[in-house]
Amino acid sequence: MENIRQVTFAQPSFFKRIKGMLGVDFYRLFHTPLLYIFLVIAALIPALVSMGGEGEATGMFTNVWQIIAANNPLYVISDMGEYANMNMVFIFGGIMVSIFIGHDYKSGYVKQLFTTHAKKQDYMISKTLLGAFSMACMCVTYLIGGVLSGAFTGLPFAVNAGSLLCAIVGKMIMSLGWASLYTFINIIFRSKFGISIALCFVLGTGIPVVGAAALIGNTPALNIFLYGSSVYACLSANFVSVIVCLACSGVWAVIYNVLGTLTLNKRDVY
Amino acid sequence: MNAIEIRNLTKNFGQKQALSGLNMTVPVGAIYGFIGENGSGKSTTEKILCGLLVPNGGSIRLFGRDYKDADVRAKIGVLIEQPGCFPNYSIWNNMMLQAANLGIQNAKAEIAKVLKLVRMEGAAGNKFKNCSLGMKQRIGIAFALLGNPELLVLDEPINGLDADGMRIMRDVLRDVTRNYGCTVVISSHILGELEKIATHYGIVRGGKMIAEMTAEELNANCRTYIALKTKNTEEAQALLERKFARVEKDASEYIRIYDTVKAEDMVAYLYNELDIAVTEIRTDKVGLEEYYIDLMKEGR
Repeated sequence: MENIRQVTFAQPSFFKRIKGMLGVDFYRLFHTPLLYIFLVIAALIPALVSMGGEGEATGMFTNVWQIIAANNPLYVISDMGEYANMNMVFIFGGIMVSIFIGHDYKSGYVKQLFTTHAKKQDYMISKTLLGAFSMACMCVTYLIGGVLSGAFTGLPFAVNAGSLLCAIVGKMIMSLGWASLYTFINIIFRSKFGISIALCFVLGTGIPVVGAAALIGNTPALNIFLYGSSVYACLSANFVSVIVCLACSGVWAVIYNVLGTLTLNKRDVY
Repeated sequence: MNAIEIRNLTKNFGQKQALSGLNMTVPVGAIYGFIGENGSGKSTTEKILCGLLVPNGGSIRLFGRDYKDADVRAKIGVLIEQPGCFPNYSIWNNMMLQAANLGIQNAKAEIAKVLKLVRMEGAAGNKFKNCSLGMKQRIGIAFALLGNPELLVLDEPINGLDADGMRIMRDVLRDVTRNYGCTVVISSHILGELEKIATHYGIVRGGKMIAEMTAEELNANCRTYIALKTKNTEEAQALLERKFARVEKDASEYIRIYDTVKAEDMVAYLYNELDIAVTEIRTDKVGLEEYYIDLMKEGR
């Protein structure tokens, strides 16, 4: 009581807030086994889908790069070879984001965070960027795993390099949209990350879009969905495909971030 | 200026009304003891204050500003239940992460300072999951002190602590208020401990504030009594009850006489008039705990 200070306020800038939050999230990301486990899983998936029991090709693919992306944007799937590609990274990315955010709630970190000057919007942005980075890294290890698996199985490497690059870049860009969706789902289910994992898995597989394609046909209109644009980034992709991925991923990232922020603001945190 | 001004605060959890028009005023620099039964609304009020729960109605102003403003929130240190730490990280690493979130420039020096204040400087390398309850509570205080807060909100910081833990925590809280000059809101069921540090009190029941007072006002409200022992307690009590308005026997078999008569006059009076020989006698006051229990009884 004898030593009361003059109370002064200083508005922490958005940059200062997000820098601190991202710093903490990335520190945790690199100092827990979670990221490394999922990077290894991403590297192993191509081997699992492309190699048979004797280390020979399963016959699902006729070219190494089909392990990365389908030849054409096919939303209606006729065989597993058209489905099993780098898009599977987004399924595992959803599980990783769910575990990460679930741990935020379980440990009480979220409680600690929101009692400071941290804004709910910052939390959404930070987790989205973290998830996007993780999935982009998983795309890279998937690519390495895909090339090695293709080399082992003796599949041909012939490809239009420009289209391949557009497909890979397009899929990596889609990580942002997927990460925002998964963050939003986890904001809703919080510490019940079992439900979040299940929902992320279902949406990550693209089952709703595949189902819609079965009903309405193989139409580019499905590119408005995250899974649609992820499929659109294929081996016949071009610069326009990258722009479509950028637009779709960006728009959904904004939508889910706004919805997530509203949810956090309207609901009790803890 | 008040540190906290809460008006008509309401909060429902489904059909259950946790807060029903709660008002609260905490002056700057006060150590505010927030008292109430389980489920009376203490933790709910504190969680709303800290931005963890969204109120259904009412207004909250901190230092004259809206409590949601980021710059105001940057001035609050909080310990609700246990600190939100990652169990596999060391205390130091957990604090570094919190410092990063708060954007503290000279984090290492700041952390060393607060750890010293809570007597934890030697345990910084311990993993959080290996800490005892008392250590965790002190880490929570250290967390709350990071960033030089103007307002500390502490929810039951001394619950579950042993006698030594309570003593350390009391010393820590005293040092905090002395060295930091910040306003402290502290809820606790352990009223005897709270009485030793609080300068103001708020008593809440059924989601409403039923009394707010300073420590001086509490002292004035708490009645003095004479506690005495005789060889024949039952007979003495029966005789005294005929002469004095309020006479009670406490748990230690002392007879309490609520009157303003001095102890020595009482001894003489009892011996001369009632032929009661007193073996022990002392003057005392009703403490916060008894005052609180009386207040709760009155409301029922």
